[in-house]
Amino acid sequence: MAESKMAFLIDTSRCIGCRSCQVACKQWNKLDADKTVSQGTYENPRDLTPNLYNRIRFIEKADGDSFKWLFLNERCVHCGDAGCMKVCPSPGALYRTKEGFVAFNAEKCISCKYCVAACPFAVPRYGADDKVTKCHLCFDRIGAGMFPACAKACPTQTLQYGPRSGLIARAKAAKKTVYGEADLSGLGVLYLLDDKPEVYGLPANPSIPTAIFLWKDVLKPLGLLGFWGSVVGVLTHYVTFGPRKLEEENSEKGGGAHG
Amino acid sequence: MGNYVERFNARERILHWFVMVSFFILLLSGLGLYSRLFHGYFSLFGGGQAAIFIHKYTGVVFLVSSILLFLNHFKEMKSFDEDDRNWFRRLGGYLDRDPEHINSGKFNAGQKAFGIFMGIATVLLGATGFVNWFPASFPIDLVRISLLVHGLLFIMFIMFVIVHAYLTTIGNPGTLESMIYGNVRRIWAKKHHPKWYKEISGQ
Repeated sequence: MAESKMAFLIDTSRCIGCRSCQVACKQWNKLDADKTVSQGTYENPRDLTPNLYNRIRFIEKADGDSFKWLFLNERCVHCGDAGCMKVCPSPGALYRTKEGFVAFNAEKCISCKYCVAACPFAVPRYGADDKVTKCHLCFDRIGAGMFPACAKACPTQTLQYGPRSGLIARAKAAKKTVYGEADLSGLGVLYLLDDKPEVYGLPANPSIPTAIFLWKDVLKPLGLLGFWGSVVGVLTHYVTFGPRKLEEENSEKGGGAHG
Repeated sequence: MGNYVERFNARERILHWFVMVSFFILLLSGLGLYSRLFHGYFSLFGGGQAAIFIHKYTGVVFLVSSILLFLNHFKEMKSFDEDDRNWFRRLGGYLDRDPEHINSGKFNAGQKAFGIFMGIATVLLGATGFVNWFPASFPIDLVRISLLVHGLLFIMFIMFVIVHAYLTTIGNPGTLESMIYGNVRRIWAKKHHPKWYKEISGQ
């Protein structure tokens, strides 16, 4: 991993659930509001949508007679070994920025939705135009020397952007466990959690789904081998055992047994 | 008595041509989905989105025609007798320079097995293709397995098709006529399918 690699760190213990990040993201990326229905929780919207690249997950936990909230900023975590990029058949539709994040280009997306199946975090969404959308970590702002919109808006420094090694070192110095440091070759978005990952709805050991791994890393190369093996096989048969020619039509033997 | 006997009637030949042409359209439109190595094949269809569109609807044509062809030949390939077991033991004689006589019926054991594989694979490719067509309507684990199985069956399919194309053209001269005109030469029938020839000619 290059020393200069950047990362995004989410310190959940600092989050107050204000959702400034949701609003700032919508504003910068010009995303329409989603109409939702109250379901007896402050969590709103209840899931990522094509118009919502990040949101705060409200986890309600019993705490004695009372209860408390755990807040998690949910978004694309920009895997170092990204399932979506592994399966995407259209070069450039999903691409890695020079800071190490996974951005998308809707014009190159061919709407196959393979990325949806390959994502270990259930992040990519398809909008009305049938093109992929997800958090791209404001590659356009970062490219212009600014912070991602959500991090800029966050009033509590829950969302931090900076060199990856520095963010990790600081978290470890504060005796925090970093989620995503090594998983999937290192996530571009790291979490500091107050409880087990499962409590937050995060996979404990995120990895590329097995069927996707078998499909792209095992079957694909074997398939190329199988194809060329078959071609070489039949051609070899032709010049070794040879074709089964028919005897001359007016020959006395006229058929019957082979050979 | 003419030199030819009928092997496949017009309905069977037309069905096979539907299967074959739709197969090649599926192959060309699907290659770019199989690997980015073959991204260039999308341009044959005017881009990836158009290729996917064509792949889906051609898949329906392939599914229907392949199932009809399978049902059409089902009675001729559903049972294996002692001669067929002999065919398997000798691998059809294809690995002998001077093969012994194998007494095959209308279809030899290898053709029967190929036909049955094609029937099963067609249904599975159709089913997994349908899941991949509407991924949002199915559990995500089913979609993942469908993508894997669709790819696996495609690989098996293309390998069998290469062997099939070889054996029915340069590997066994005289065979292709059965798919073009429907008739084969009597010496071809006697040589490759003696039991069948006996049945139809009474000789």
